[in-house]
This record gives sequence, structure tokens and C-alpha cells, in this order.
Amino acid sequence: MTEPVWGPVQRDIVDLLADHPADVPAVVDHLTKLQDMLVRLPPLEDSCPLADFNRLYLTITSSVLDGLYDDRFVDPVFLSRLDVEFAARYFDAMRLWTDSSPGTPKAWSCLFERMQGPDARPLPSAAAGVNAHINFDLPFALVTTFDHLESEPVDGSDQHHDYLEINNIFADKIPGLRRGYLERWQLLIDMLNGDIDDWYQGELVEYTRDVAWRNAQKIWRCRHDPDARECERTRLDDNAAALGRLLLSPLGAFLQ
Amino acid sequence: MASDVDTAPLVGRAELVQTVRSALLGDAAHGQTAGVFLTGESGVGKTRLLGEIGDRLREQGAVVLTGSCLDIGDASPLHPLLQALRRFDAEVSTSHARTSSAVRGLLQMFADETAGPDGAGALLERVSRGLHLIAEGRPLVLILDDLQWVDRSTRQLLLYLLAGLGDLQLSVLAAVRAESLQGAHPLRRVLTELRRLRTVRVLDLAPLGRADTETLAAAVVGRTLTTDAAEQVWQRSGGNPFVIEELARDLRDGRDGLSETLREIFLERVDALPQHAHAVVHAVAAGVEPVQHWLLAQVLGMPEDELIAAARAAVAHRLLVGADDGYRLRHRLVAEVLAHELLPAERSGLHRRYAEALTAAPGELHQARLAHHWRLAGEPARALPAAVAAAQEAERLHGYAEAHRHWSAALQLAADPGPLTVDRVELLENAAEAAHHCGEHARALALLEELAALWGGEPSCALHIRRARYLAAAGRSALAEEEYQRALEAADCSPRDRATAAARLAELLLHLGRYADAGERAREALALAEKVEGSATEVVLASSALGFSDACLEDPDAGLAVMRDALDTAERAGQPEDVACAYLHLAELLTGPLNILEEGVVVARRGAERVAELGLGRTWGTRLLAIAINGLFRVGQWAEAEKVVAAALRHRPSGADAVELLLARCRLSVGYGDIEAAGRDLDAVATLLAGGGARHVIPLLTLRSGLAMWEGRHDVARLAVQRGLTESRSDDVMILSALVWHGLRAEAEAHASRTVEVDPTAVRRLRDVAERVARKSAGAARPVRSVVEGFLALCAAEVSRLNGSDPELWAVSAAEWDRRNHPYPAAYSRLRQAEALLARRSRLATAGKLLREAYRVAQGLGAVPLTSEIRELAGRARVSLDVHDTTTGTRGVPAGASDDELTALTAREREVLALVAEGLTNKEIGQRLFISERTIGVHVSHIFDKLQVRTRVQASAIQLRNQRG
Repeated sequence: MTEPVWGPVQRDIVDLLADHPADVPAVVDHLTKLQDMLVRLPPLEDSCPLADFNRLYLTITSSVLDGLYDDRFVDPVFLSRLDVEFAARYFDAMRLWTDSSPGTPKAWSCLFERMQGPDARPLPSAAAGVNAHINFDLPFALVTTFDHLESEPVDGSDQHHDYLEINNIFADKIPGLRRGYLERWQLLIDMLNGDIDDWYQGELVEYTRDVAWRNAQKIWRCRHDPDARECERTRLDDNAAALGRLLLSPLGAFLQ
Repeated sequence: MASDVDTAPLVGRAELVQTVRSALLGDAAHGQTAGVFLTGESGVGKTRLLGEIGDRLREQGAVVLTGSCLDIGDASPLHPLLQALRRFDAEVSTSHARTSSAVRGLLQMFADETAGPDGAGALLERVSRGLHLIAEGRPLVLILDDLQWVDRSTRQLLLYLLAGLGDLQLSVLAAVRAESLQGAHPLRRVLTELRRLRTVRVLDLAPLGRADTETLAAAVVGRTLTTDAAEQVWQRSGGNPFVIEELARDLRDGRDGLSETLREIFLERVDALPQHAHAVVHAVAAGVEPVQHWLLAQVLGMPEDELIAAARAAVAHRLLVGADDGYRLRHRLVAEVLAHELLPAERSGLHRRYAEALTAAPGELHQARLAHHWRLAGEPARALPAAVAAAQEAERLHGYAEAHRHWSAALQLAADPGPLTVDRVELLENAAEAAHHCGEHARALALLEELAALWGGEPSCALHIRRARYLAAAGRSALAEEEYQRALEAADCSPRDRATAAARLAELLLHLGRYADAGERAREALALAEKVEGSATEVVLASSALGFSDACLEDPDAGLAVMRDALDTAERAGQPEDVACAYLHLAELLTGPLNILEEGVVVARRGAERVAELGLGRTWGTRLLAIAINGLFRVGQWAEAEKVVAAALRHRPSGADAVELLLARCRLSVGYGDIEAAGRDLDAVATLLAGGGARHVIPLLTLRSGLAMWEGRHDVARLAVQRGLTESRSDDVMILSALVWHGLRAEAEAHASRTVEVDPTAVRRLRDVAERVARKSAGAARPVRSVVEGFLALCAAEVSRLNGSDPELWAVSAAEWDRRNHPYPAAYSRLRQAEALLARRSRLATAGKLLREAYRVAQGLGAVPLTSEIRELAGRARVSLDVHDTTTGTRGVPAGASDDELTALTAREREVLALVAEGLTNKEIGQRLFISERTIGVHVSHIFDKLQVRTRVQASAIQLRNQRG
């Protein structure tokens, strides 16, 4: 509680988090600034596990933004709101972590804790962030977005279509990023394994994103019942945290 | 009742209290509304702060209304406001007879409210009138605790009042539990949007710091803490004031608790309670707070003395709080801790006793509470009638979201086997309609499925129509179309039903842009309606679909005639809604696709008068006036438009109607250059849209960027456009084309003024979108194309401004807007055309003529920023704007003081020198003053000679010195 959790970049990060981005260009701007700060965070700096995730998230969100400009989605209103709401949860988790709040989702704190070391491999780190963000944050972001737009999570709707379109963005981006992580000797392993790792990683995202949609539908049905909603939240947080810890354990390193 | 809850001093919040106080009273005192939302985790002291601030504001002479939201999911609409009024009523002494009767009057209004069309908006209006009477010119503050449990109606009321639509000096102070916002809470988005506004503050309440923790602990203990003790309190509490206070109390009383979370603190306390006190806290936990003393006595059946002793013990253990209106648990966590302690039989027994006691004594939230307790008592048969009554009660106050929840509860209760004789069909119908009303489309459709299954066999025509209606509302047009088709084919379809289905289908097809299909269906509907008595509604609906489809298919006269006939039919039939609807569509047709603006404005205003006579002024009248205002704006009668806006706002519209009007007024203010007023309206619109309404976001952002440009904040304008581009559907070509023009104009202005760097990526994207719009609109209907072409002409011309403005493109744009009878953008285009000609130093006489023409129009409109830009350009180019004086170069820049060092310079040389001092190069000065670079060089050397200097820096110094003097 006495040590600022963000060390020398505490001031910068607190100032950044004081602002709540309200549109997708602002979210991208936020993530870009955050990236600059995270790589300055000792002791791991460039290899900060959160920076690994943030880098991936920034790339993906930039692609979503390009998609919005390029008319790639059927219902941009929905997708923009979802993107902003989704990102807000990541920033919320960081804010809670900043306050050392016991309310910080466990799904996130297992990754945040690792900023102090020991170092984890970039890929599992990024995957742990993706896990927290998709398995825990996304269903709630979906529910809030639908609620705000006075719409509903219906299979086969325009919104569902756009939502699934994001899977393609993940698929586009992850192999490239994957290679970006590799150091020389890892390239060797990669050649041996071919694209198996890429495939595995892509599957993970696709699979969990689908689960997130189902979970959103589940929460949607009980969203007026605070107890049931809270129960669901705890369940998702516990599950995501368990998976996150696994990814960050030595076992996760095998992914890379 | 004794309660030592607030004896500890308020530590570390002085600055916050001050901020909130001045935010609430400072702004509200200027006739504006203000809102402060405090968010923070449990125990951080939100409730305490609300109380403290409320007291201070009361001392300052404000009228303070305090209520809290309830966590029973099935609460009733506007409950917190009603509670606040009742509390206030109890507070107001008899000496304030007038206030007191105003409060009673408002409460009575709620009691008399009945369900009806547009009741919700009218209710908001009546509430604000009532509050106005209570305030009597004093500042009014509405304080709401536990806003995370707010019902939808109260949420809408808050946004309505904060947007200033109540015409009321009011501020809102509300507290929200941060934990609740982490889930899927609807307030999350509302707060994100509100954060941006000048009138609203969202303050995140942080835990106390180390020093404040120590101060608070010391105050509770009564002496300074030892270093160890202080460290321990700090470590264990994490700065949470509630925990600090409790830990310090343990320390003072020599208890050494090990608890460090609120939950543990409460667990320990509950364990230590005497037996009777146990019963009291359990009973309060099962009740709906506040639990009145008489009720508690009945539920527990304890002798009075014993009850009081037990309650005292619970208060002393700091689990319970006693106030005038009843008992509450000290903290929500107490209920959670207690929840696991009772056996199910014990709990249902408590609920049964509550229900029995309440049955005998009707009170606040009567039916909702009865339903709640009977249900939890395991008595569905007795809960059911209460749930139905609660649903009807909620519908009476237009709270369809709450009503839907009660209807759903009733359905569940009726599903339990038992000696129940209920009309399940009726329950399902009511539940479905309420779900449809509050936007729960999937749920509404699911309920219809159940209804169909209950009936068995072929679904009836009426059911198909209903399903189609719900599907259309859910935006699932293809399915809705199929469903209307099925309705038309259904065996039991009466001629009346058939006409309805065909008319609605025509309307749906029109919205989908399938004009030919829509026209065909509309003709079919009209033919069907002809044979049915009293089908004016269908006639109006079908006629408007036909009118628009004809207009879009290039047969405007036929469409217009149909729509005029429909108005006659409606007038003859005499249904007010039909008449209003016919006027609206006729006015829309004229001002929209037909672009016959003057007549459209006349029809809209006449219609507004007529529907006001019919008692529909607030809703339909407002909509008609909004059409008139937009028409007047376009034809350039701004003063008249302004008058109509004022008249329309006197109806105090709400929701989308209000948004339309505020946007229209803002458009005028942007044109006038009234930055203050425009900013206020934009904030008001943003406040209303925080509650939902994506359709209006793009016009809002377009205006925001227009305003930012007049302020010279081209980067802000760019951000607004960027947001708009990422949030608009690409098929909304009209809205999109206006937005793209704003974006390109912002870049061009940035380039011209050199205040902000041009963003090449933004330019590229804008050009892409412009191309896409051009492509998409090529296939659109003629009226749509015509609007889009105007904006695209502007876009093309703005792009040229980034690289030597092309006068030809501006001439095209001016012609385009002249053709559409829209003088404002035409004048703007002329200004730019003149500017481009002057920059090329060609056809100077034409430039002068264009400027004078633009000037005449801009002045006539009262468009201040445009006028001054024209004047500024004319000044630089030495063009006379005087209509009678067509020679150029006669009007110089007014000479300054004649005895300064610059006396020797000519007016032109002074202009050049001023720009030299701004750091411009000769080339840039040449561009600015529309003369060649070489001529500027000559001017500069003359200036050097006359001032006897050798460098630009020296010359600049003289210029600056003389400016100051």
C-alpha cells in the first residue's frame, strides 16, 4: 500500500487513467500512451508481461478502428460502443490495481502481480491478458452495450455477425504477433512445430470469444437480479483467474 | 432512537465537500443545472458525505430532497423521488404552509396519475412543474443514495432535469457503489458519457491517505495512536474510513479484533449479539428498508420494552441504525453476512409475518412489498395477486421496465402448481406488451411464442401482426416482413386486419428503402381500407408510405396528392392521432424529398396549431414544429426559426422530441456564432443521449465540430468527426456526407490558419468515406442524392483548399446549394470561391461581387462568424463590401495613432509589417494579402528604409512596441 504500484511511471499512469476514453480513436490513443509507459516500468521494462498484452491489444484495437473506418462492420454503432466499453474494463482493472483495491478482478491481478517478476514469456503473458479480457470482461461489456443501445444479444443478428468478425481480426493479427515475439532460438522451435502454435492460439481466442457471447446471454437474462449477477461475476472471475494462473505458470511457457 | 453512527469527525474530505458544494450551488445559481456523482467502494463514506453536504446546502438556503434507491429488483418507478418528497413533507414545518402544500400537491399528482399514450413524457413535465412550486425560487438539490439500484424511470427523470428541460434551477447529487458498476450495470455507460460534460462531475472517492487515516483513528480513540497501532490500522484498513473507524473503536475499547475486512468485522459483531438483538437484525434484514418500528414489533411479536432493549443492543453493536422513518442495517454487508445464518424455514416465517402485517396496513410500495414477501414466504397463490397489482401500479406510472418484471414474476408464480385459477393468456399478453414497451424485444417475442403454444393450432392473424410489430421494433426487418406476409395469408384475417398488416408492411418496406415494394403494398392497403369503416389510421399510414415512395420514384405530384387526401380522411374521421400523423407526414414529405420548403413550413406550423387544439401539442405539436424550424433554418429565416424553437420548448418535450429541438436550436446558435448557447445545448443533448439514442449522435457530433471550428479549435473538431465516422452506419449517406464535409473543412481550416497541423491520415480517411458515400448514394433515391451531392461538392472544394483552393469547385458548390434553396452554405461557398480567386489574383471583379453577395446573405441571416470572416477577407483584399461601391482598394485599413514610429508607413505597409511581426515569410504574406511575393519584397524594403532598420527582427520589434503603446 505504501509503494506506488506503478513505480516511476505512477504519476503518468494515474493521470492517464483519470481520463475515460469515450470513442474508439480515443481508446487507441490511450493504449498507445500506455504502451510507452509500461515499457518503462522496472524491473522488467520491455518485457513487462502487461506490456506484452497491451501491445497485442493495441494492435487488435487499431485493426478494429481501421475496420470501422473501412466500413467493415454492419453495425458500427454497436461495435464502437462495445469496443469502448470493453476497453473501459481493462482501464478499470488498472485503476483498481492502482488503488490496491481488493475489488481488482482476480483474473487481472494474477497478471498485474507478475509485473514485479518473475519474468514470464511474452506469449503466455499476452495470452493471460487476452484470457482475462475475453473470459471475464467481454461478457459484461456485451451486456452493458446491449443495454445501452436498447438491443439484445440475439444469435444471427447484425451485432452477432460483427462480433464474430472480430475473430477474423484476432486470427489476422496473432500469427504476425506470434513471430514478433520470437527470438532466434525460438524460431527453430517454430519451424519444427510449423503453425501449430499459431493455430492453438487462434483457437483459444475463437473458443473463448464464443463462450463470452454465451456468457453474455446468460448474464443478460439475470441482469436485473443483483445477486444472480454478482454470482455470475464471481464464477467468471474465478474461472478466468484459474486459467490465467495456468498460463503464467511454467506450464504456460510451453506455449511459446 | 440513539445512534452514534456519525459521531466520528469527517476527515480528509474538506476539499471534496467544498468542490461539491460549489459545483452544485455555483452553477445552479446561474440558472443552470449541475450534477455530481460520487462513486466509491463500500465503506469509503459516500452516504456520510451526502448527509454532510446536504446539511451545508440546507444551511445555505437550498431546498434539499433526499431519497435512496432500493435493492429489491421489483421496486416501483420513481420510488426514490417519492420517498424524498415524503421525507421532505415530514420535515417541512407548519410555518412553511406554501411549501408543504406544494409537496402534497406533487404527491397527490402521483397518486392521480393514470396510464396513457405519452404519459411518461407528460409525467416528467408535471414533476418538474411540481418541483418548481416547491423550490419557490430557491436552489433545489436532489440527493440520491445507492444510485446503483435506480429504476429506469428515475434515471430518465434525472437526465431530463440535468439537461435543463424542466426549466428548473436544480442540482443532483448522487452516490454510486463502485463495486456495482463493475458488472453489467446500465449506469456505467451513462456515467462515461456524462463525465465529458461541463455541468456534470463524476468524482471517484478514493480511500484516505496515511495521515488522514491516523487523524481519524486518533479522533475516535481520543488520543494520538502509538506508531505501531497507527501502522496496524493503516495496514489493515487500507484507508477505508468505515474500517478505520471500527478498528479504532476496538482499539479504544480494548478489544483486539483480528478482522480486517468489513465482512469479518460484521461477522464478529453478529456473533457477539445478545439473543433478542439477533432476532431484530434478522428481521430487519428480511424486510424492505426502512422498517418501521410498528412493523418490526408486529413481525417479532415482542413486548415493547424487550423490543426496544433488543434494538438498542443492535444499534450499540453497530449493526443497526435507527432513524425517524425506521430501522436500517448499518451496511449492506450485514445482510449478506446474515443471509447464511437462518434456516430456510425461519426466513420464510419472517417473510410470512411481514406479509401478514403489511396486508393489514397499506403503505409505501404496498403491492410490490406484499408480492416480495409472499413469494419468499413460499405462498405463490397469495403473491400472485399482489404481483399483478404491482405491475398495474407500475404501468400507471409508465414504468414499463418495472411492470415487465412484475408481470414476469406473476407468470412464474402462476407456473407453480397449486389451486390457482388465473388467466394465463392475459398474464402473457400483458407481460409481452410491457416487455415490448421497455425494449425487451427477445423476451416479448418469447412470451408470444408461449402464448401461441397455449392456444395451439394455427396462430391467429392478430398474433402474426403482433409478432411482426415486435420484430420490427427489434430491428429484425426481414423476419418482420415474413410475419406480415403470414398475417395477410392467415385464414382468420379480417378485412380490417388485412388493411392494418398491409399498411404496416408498406411502412416497413419504406424504411428499408424498397420504394417500389412499399408503394405496391400501400396501394393494396388503401384499396383494402376503402372497404372498411373507420380505418383512417390505416389510410394515413399507407398514404404516407405511398407518398414517400412516389416522391422517391420521381413522381412527386402523385405522392403529394395522396398525402393531402389522407389528411382529409383523417380530419373527417376525427381521431386526433390520425390527424397529427397525417400532418406530420405531409410536412415531412414537403420539406424532405420534395424540397418544397416554404410550403412545408406553412403546413408544419398549421399542423402544430391544429394538433394543439386536439390536445396533442406536447408530442405531435413539438414534432411538427421541429420540422418547421429545420425548414426555416434552411431557407434562411433564422430569426423566425428561433421564435418557433422558443414556442416549441414551452411544451417541455422529453426524449427524442426534446433532442430534435435542442439540436435545431444549437444549429441556429452555431450559425449565429453564439458559442455559449450552442455549447449549452450540446451538453443538454449529450445528457439526454447518455440514456440511449444512437440515432442522434452523428448530428450532435457534426454540430460539435462546427462549433469547435468557429472557436478555432480545429483539433477538437477533428476528434468529433473521427468519433462520428467510427459510429455511423455507412448507409446513412445524408448524415455521413454532412459529417465528412465538417471533417474536411476542419483540416482545410487547420491548413489555412496554421494553428493545428493537418492530419494526412485523417484527410485520406475522409476522402475514402466521401468516395464511399458517392458510390452508395449513386443508387439512392433522387431526394437523398440531391442532399448528398451538395455536401460532396463542398467536400471536393475543401480538399482543394489543402493545395491551392480551386474557385471552380467552389462555384459548383454554390450552384448546388442555390439549387436546393439553401442560402447559408451557398454564401459560405461564395466566400471560399472569392478567396480562391483572390489567391490566384484573377478575376478580381468577380471575387468582389461574390464577396458582396455572400456578405449580404450572411448579414441577412445574422450569421456572425461567417460575416466577420467575409469582412476580414475583404479587408485583406481591399474589397469594398458596400453594395453601391464596386471599386476596389478604396477602403484601407484604418490608420492607427498618427504620432507613433509607424507614421511614415502607408496603410498597406503597415499590414505587411504586422504580418512580418507574426513571423510570416514574404511568400506567406503574399498569399494572405493576395499580392505577389515580389511585391511584398518591395513593401518590406520600403518598410526597412522608412524605419531605418536592416532586419525583420528589428522591424518586428518596432511593430510590437507600437502595438503595445
